[in-house]
Amino acid sequence: MGIRIGEKEFDKRVEKGLADSFMRSAVTEAQDRLRTGRLKAAEELGDWESWRDLGEEIRHHTMENLDFYLQQLSENVAKRGGHVFFAETAEKANEYIQQVVKEKQAKKVIKSKSMVTEEIGMNEALEDNGCEVIESDLGEYILQMDDQDPPSHIVAPALHKNKAQIRDVFRDKKGYVNNDIPEEMTRFAREQLRNEFLSADIGITGCNFAVAESGSISLVTNEGNARLVSALPKTQITVMGMERIVPTWEELDVLVSLLCRSAVGQKLTSYITGLTGPKEDGDVDGPDEFHLVIVDNGRSNILGTEFQEALHCIRCAACINVCPVYSHIGGHAYGSIYPGPIGAVLTPLLDEYENNKELPYASSLCAACTEACPVKIPLHELLIKHRQKIVEEAKKTEASERFAMKAFEWVASTPSLYNMGSKAASLAMSPFTKEGNISKGPGPLKPWTEIRDLPAPGKERFRDWYNKREKGGRRK
Amino acid sequence: MKVSLFVTCLTDIFYPEVGKDTVELLERLGCEVDFPESQTCCGQPAFNSGYHKESIKVAKHMVKTFEGSDYVVTPSGSCAAMLKEYEKLLADDQAWQEKARALGEKTYELTEFLVDVLNEEDVGAAFHAKATYHTSCHMTRLLGVKDAPVKLLSKVEGLDLTSLPHGYDCCGFGGTFSVKMALISEQMADAKVKHIEETDADVLIGADAGCLMNIGGRLRRKGKPVKVMHIAQVLNRKEKR
Amino acid sequence: MKKGTIHHQEAFLNHIADRLGRKRRTKGVKRPKWSTLPQWNVYQGHSPEQLVDVLKEQCQSIHTDVEETTIRNLPHVVSEVITRYQGKKIVTWDDPRFEEFGLQSYLEKNLPEQGAEVHVWDENRSREKNIQIAERAEIGITFSDITLAESGTVVLFSDKGKGRSVSLLPENYIAIIPKSTIVPRMTQAAHEIHKRVEKGDPVASCVNFISGPSNSADIEMSLVVGVHGPVKVTYVIVTDR
Repeated sequence: MGIRIGEKEFDKRVEKGLADSFMRSAVTEAQDRLRTGRLKAAEELGDWESWRDLGEEIRHHTMENLDFYLQQLSENVAKRGGHVFFAETAEKANEYIQQVVKEKQAKKVIKSKSMVTEEIGMNEALEDNGCEVIESDLGEYILQMDDQDPPSHIVAPALHKNKAQIRDVFRDKKGYVNNDIPEEMTRFAREQLRNEFLSADIGITGCNFAVAESGSISLVTNEGNARLVSALPKTQITVMGMERIVPTWEELDVLVSLLCRSAVGQKLTSYITGLTGPKEDGDVDGPDEFHLVIVDNGRSNILGTEFQEALHCIRCAACINVCPVYSHIGGHAYGSIYPGPIGAVLTPLLDEYENNKELPYASSLCAACTEACPVKIPLHELLIKHRQKIVEEAKKTEASERFAMKAFEWVASTPSLYNMGSKAASLAMSPFTKEGNISKGPGPLKPWTEIRDLPAPGKERFRDWYNKREKGGRRK
Repeated sequence: MKVSLFVTCLTDIFYPEVGKDTVELLERLGCEVDFPESQTCCGQPAFNSGYHKESIKVAKHMVKTFEGSDYVVTPSGSCAAMLKEYEKLLADDQAWQEKARALGEKTYELTEFLVDVLNEEDVGAAFHAKATYHTSCHMTRLLGVKDAPVKLLSKVEGLDLTSLPHGYDCCGFGGTFSVKMALISEQMADAKVKHIEETDADVLIGADAGCLMNIGGRLRRKGKPVKVMHIAQVLNRKEKR
Repeated sequence: MKKGTIHHQEAFLNHIADRLGRKRRTKGVKRPKWSTLPQWNVYQGHSPEQLVDVLKEQCQSIHTDVEETTIRNLPHVVSEVITRYQGKKIVTWDDPRFEEFGLQSYLEKNLPEQGAEVHVWDENRSREKNIQIAERAEIGITFSDITLAESGTVVLFSDKGKGRSVSLLPENYIAIIPKSTIVPRMTQAAHEIHKRVEKGDPVASCVNFISGPSNSADIEMSLVVGVHGPVKVTYVIVTDR
């Protein structure tokens, strides 16, 4: 799939999102539920802010010493008989994975949910080589069945679909004959997928956090599919973004606690699975062979820049769940598998500015995201930094805007000009004023008045009133 | 107590009555209010759009403007937060950064100043109406002023205050966002209008001219009879039934 | 055990060090002393009984039934749960604790006499056969190695006789929880594992933190209990000290 999804043009994607009333009400409802759950889970702990501080500290320390911890991780994986492949690019990661698939002569791969495998377009790469890839997370399973519909949320990928749509997909693609009750459809998926787990040659998982001290990887799930993927097939491949790592199990505890509470309001999800290497001698189930693919794919470009904190992200989606912009346009409008505030920050960095130049502006800077982030990524500030880069380095803003901002600088730092300008504004707008309001503004006011009325500037500005009052000697 | 008013550009031009009420309210509570006349705008339109070089000059001008003030009080959480941002914005020049920090430290949003500095919750206002209060994002999240407005409003005689559902959601103003992403902004404003209607309130009270301009403009466009007021207007009201 | 391999490490990590603007760090990095450790305050000083109460309450919100009993009554309680699940095919770990807790003869004699098939995970049987048995079983039974009160979690360390599939493939899962294994939260379990790693002891190839039955909310956010893993779960807490 790659990081880009949907239509090329941002405006078209937004229009499509805004027109999808089911999606919007589903998203609003989901946001409400997830937000309430998160706040309740945070409140239970009593000192959530200390937890956030600790989360931030851990992420900061780990990122500053990323080379050390990745080395420790890989050495420990190898000590336990696992194979580690460092992949600078998506292509290199896919090449390695394909090589393993070929060696094992694998025909069928079963997967648990992983954003990084979406990002590198792994499924397509494998399918192009004749290997069947089956998504086992219920949401991803639905999307895959529906002709690879892209995910619209990083935790609840099929959030934009309703149950009737899902029933139709099951019916058309798998001959499902039952009703659209979620329990029934889930049962159906369980039965369909159980055989796939048992017959798959290779299991592929993502990785929530790797643990450097022991060479372990951890998987945070509710459905149990990641456990099946890592218990039944004889070969396991785990793909991780290079930043998804903690020093020791003690930090794993903290980040997993923050993740579960922030993502779904649970104390812990049903399953947290820590896997170290392939199965040990004498173990019966678990993979005989374990491969860990550590992916850069643009992440290192973020290190050492003002955006480094974006790599602290633990993919909980708390920022997405509180974002009022996401709530109206939905995940697909971002044109990236990473939607919402974190998506608007990460996508231009992992992809490019040119293709994502609107994303940093798709925020009212309300800072709900920053407030919700469990590891205290200053998301709205990073969005402003993106805008700054677009202005200063990419020089991608329109000439009229650059001119307006220059004028603003000049006027707002020169009191006499400001004084004149604000007075003139009132005069200039008076022909458009009706009952103290402007509903059809000229020129630069047009985008505003197309949607809302503008109060007409008062005949007397505040400063005029104040000065008159001063002169009148009313001052105490 | 000597207080310098930073009235903000929106209030100066579009809502002069809010400025007047702010002055009267502060004076009524015993403050000596002055208005440094060279003040302009906090610079947010440029800063939030990424034009940081352009906002530096504005910031320096504002720092100079309020250099002699003991307290700077402004009827806008958003502009107060911007004044506090100057310290980071001017970080390249230590002398300016020092001055910017000093400005940030003495800057207060109006309700924060009343409650935390003047220790006044009951300002003796009376206003008989059914109202709801819109929390502004920058005031609560950037400035951390969460309770002061409600504390003040709860003491207003006759005011029947209902809490606004989804009060934590942005109204869709966001400065240039309101015109750059107009379609999305419109939907956010509509959601806000819907929630205001759910409260059955006759008056929407806010503490930031930007939000009020956006919500008020949308309410008016949709023909909704809800009146929009700045909190300074409510707190300076002595209306008896 | 065969040693694994590492590919392309040097260039990759050198590049990271470059980007971080410093020399490569290959040793000597220590975790700092974190400024705050709130995780250790959770249920600090709670007695074992209080922790049992916390665990039981949490189980209500994770759709997990709880039974409390003594070693003496354990076979009786387990038998009741099995009856409730109407399971005729049972798979258990090969774990000396079944003997220690007086369950061995119940599993080996009484249950088969009542017409149930009881299979024990067997390291000497083939992988395929073991998985097939677990797949066909209606009930899986294991002990808990560490139990987390806060989240209602049983922690299972895989081993030769302790297959991953036993707690995973059957529709019903019974975890026997010796009261002595109950700790406040994940913090204590993680600390325990960390201490083992520091001592140089190997971590189990699979450590499972299991909190109730599998579930999903992927269809319209409505919670469905029972997806790929067990649909029903019972914890049996046994007083063992």
